Amino acid sequence: MCNLRTPLFLLLLSPALSAQDSVLAKLQRRADSLAGEWRRANAVADLADSLEHERAVTGRDTIAVGALRIVANPSPLPLREAGVRAWPVIDSFYGRAAQDLAQRAYIIRAFDPDTTVPRARLHVGMEVPWNMTEESLVLLLISNVPVAPPDAALQEWLGGPVRPSVNASQDRVGVYVQLVTAPSQAARSCFQGRLDSCALALGLATAPTLEAWYPSAAERRSLVITAFTDYFDHGATVAAYHSCTAGSDSACTGLLRSLPKGTLPRPLGADARVTLVHLALRLGGREAYHRLLAGRDAPIGARLASAAGVSQDSLLARWREEVIAARPSAVALPPWAFLFALGWVAIFAGCGLRSSRWRVG
Amino acid sequence: MYHVILYSQWKWSRLIVLLGTIAGFALPIISLQGAAAADRNPLAAQELLRAVQSWGTLYPVLATTLGLLVAIATWAPDHRGRHIHALSLPLPRWRYVLLRFAAGVTVLAGPIVAVLLGAVLATALATIPPGLQGYPLALALRFALALLVAYAVFFAVSAGTTRTAGIILGVIAAVIVVQIVAGVANVELDLWGKLALVILNWPGPLAVFTGRWMLVDV
Repeated sequence: MCNLRTPLFLLLLSPALSAQDSVLAKLQRRADSLAGEWRRANAVADLADSLEHERAVTGRDTIAVGALRIVANPSPLPLREAGVRAWPVIDSFYGRAAQDLAQRAYIIRAFDPDTTVPRARLHVGMEVPWNMTEESLVLLLISNVPVAPPDAALQEWLGGPVRPSVNASQDRVGVYVQLVTAPSQAARSCFQGRLDSCALALGLATAPTLEAWYPSAAERRSLVITAFTDYFDHGATVAAYHSCTAGSDSACTGLLRSLPKGTLPRPLGADARVTLVHLALRLGGREAYHRLLAGRDAPIGARLASAAGVSQDSLLARWREEVIAARPSAVALPPWAFLFALGWVAIFAGCGLRSSRWRVG
Repeated sequence: MYHVILYSQWKWSRLIVLLGTIAGFALPIISLQGAAAADRNPLAAQELLRAVQSWGTLYPVLATTLGLLVAIATWAPDHRGRHIHALSLPLPRWRYVLLRFAAGVTVLAGPIVAVLLGAVLATALATIPPGLQGYPLALALRFALALLVAYAVFFAVSAGTTRTAGIILGVIAAVIVVQIVAGVANVELDLWGKLALVILNWPGPLAVFTGRWMLVDV
């Protein structure tokens, strides 16, 4: 009886196994088909990009300044002059890597700002009015350097490509304000001098988890209230949101865990990370950008340290010093304001003296 | 003579000054009430700054209101008596006006001191998060200047005749009309904007009222 049981079982199971096999095969075929479609769509998109690129650069002038290449239609825009001013900034920022820009031109289409004639849509490059000032053009060139995007890890951490800043001191002021106002103990401890907290707040220390970035209930509650009120205070999450604002940590944690992957904000914003990268490049000299892009598998902190040529702690300490030094001046009156205000008081009091009501006779 | 005028000034404006003094003392304390609470979240610096900034808009309002009411109270009895009493005094008119002005400034010292004391007390009682600082003295100084400017402006207007007030209002109306006509005629003329720029930016007369009035800031 026992010997008969196994063949009988296999006999009964075989149609099910065969059905499962056919389902798997069917799914495999569908996956292959989708992959094929995806490859074809990519090829078409590449072709469209290439054609669009050709359309954008055909019949245009190329302006070369250092390794910068600016492809533009004829216009009164002072592109060469702007390029001459932008190039030293770009060259000193990227160092030797700036030479690679000779292969990646800016594509600029200048248009008449006063006409209402519709113009062909351009999907590549930048469209700028031809009355743009040289100063604005310089800023445009610096903040849109056509540098190759870095690897995914660096780009994800930084939130975009590495580009020079147009106002570094103002960036640091913004980071100072973040450091003292962010609803994060890590940011506050960093402000008070703990470098491990700086690493945590900048997303350098650990894997991006809710508990690592916002370890206390107060931080999680503050984060929900300050950053996600509009997102959670309606629909299915409204009850949990109100429970969170009333003090329930489990509700706050649940809400923050329900956020789509990669949307949990780091304790400090992208500006803070950008200033750290800029410092690393500044300290590391002309090879710093190359070193930063090398070692893609290493943690971001190690890559930044390698780019800067100093240890991660030294880099963070220097970054913190610079941010603290950039403390914005409080909103107070300038010294001469007192003189002006008292002067106006005297003038208006004098007007009272000259009142026509008193001119008797 | 100054004491007599000061006494009359106090009699006419004591209610305004007392209310202004209470408001001036309470305003800084209320603006930092969250920071003084025992159960306050020490990480909520942003909310604290936002609250301080919101309450801060009331300082220029208080300064303007006090300046206006005290200036009106300074001249109202003289206007009612058609200035006969003032003209009968053995004083040159410029001296009488200066004495009136000085008496008004003296009674306004109360609200200024109240703002200073309230601000000092509020910042001393509050738990200010690291990185933020209290600015009680700067705030009180600014309030003092704004109050004096407001008082001086309304003192000058109030000392004038109805005709003077009409001229001032007429000039303002003319600017508005020109601006509207220019807008209708599609002429690029930003008279109002330019005027506001001149008046509300340093060294303009009302520049002291603009900007952020922060008792606590970075």
